[in-house]
Amino acid sequence: MNEQSKQSAEHRRRRPLKHRNVLTRSSRFGPNMTPMVDVTLVILIFFMASASIAGHEWFLRADLPEIQDPDLVTSGFSLPTPMLSADLFIRDEQVFVRGIGDDPRPLQSVIEQIRTMDPDSANGLILGIRASDTVPYWAVVALHDAASSVSMRVAIR
Amino acid sequence: MRTRSIISNEGSGARINVTPMIDVVMVLIVFYLLVGQLAIDRKASIDLPSSSTGINQTQEQDPIIIGITADGSLSINGNAIDSNRFTGEIEGMHTRAPGTPIRVRADRDAPFGVVRPIMHQLRDANIRGVELVTEQRP
Repeated sequence: MNEQSKQSAEHRRRRPLKHRNVLTRSSRFGPNMTPMVDVTLVILIFFMASASIAGHEWFLRADLPEIQDPDLVTSGFSLPTPMLSADLFIRDEQVFVRGIGDDPRPLQSVIEQIRTMDPDSANGLILGIRASDTVPYWAVVALHDAASSVSMRVAIR
Repeated sequence: MRTRSIISNEGSGARINVTPMIDVVMVLIVFYLLVGQLAIDRKASIDLPSSSTGINQTQEQDPIIIGITADGSLSINGNAIDSNRFTGEIEGMHTRAPGTPIRVRADRDAPFGVVRPIMHQLRDANIRGVELVTEQRP
């Protein structure tokens, strides 16, 4: 028996020491923050990425006026709303505008002219935009944008 | 009674905590699902025109969003719709909720010959104004 206890004491001595980490031991007493930090970081990256993908959207208001009979308009007693009319069309693979100014002019020139207008005098005016089939939609929006910048209302016709 | 985890093996000293891995993997799965959905939406490929002015208010009411791609394909609130059924559908939606804002998301390169009939159909459905969706110019 005495021999046995000696052997077991010898065996215990030969066993390698168990590594103990003070930090690991202490972490058992608090909440494990690692999962939360991981998830939070991934969510953060997701929102950052989606924000840059989505971009920021604006809305330009456009009226859709009813087609009126000219006779009814002239026979009415109400004063007509001051209205400019711009017809967009393609010439030599460029977008031109007819109706603002004398001759058809390139879109960019008309946009610059509109942007130089006094917003106080332009306020209340309605710009009616008409475009031929081949005119790209961005050209209509560009003209709309210029008109909105000087507080004009825009009607798509 | 002491509870023992199948994964953790305290006796051996090797302890693999899989909780963070599962969390991250699940979030990544959700992430890819959402990105995949976004990609499908973008596959409808509407490249918006840009503008320097506009309003960015969000109304209480959910808008009706009309999508027009460059090739003239139509969608209402993300659901593809045939042009023959468009007027009836939009008229019905407008009648059910008259104050609902209508937003037109048309591709910047769409020819106006594709956009105009939609505008006319909206006007015929007694809609007097729309909001054109653009991308804010930096």
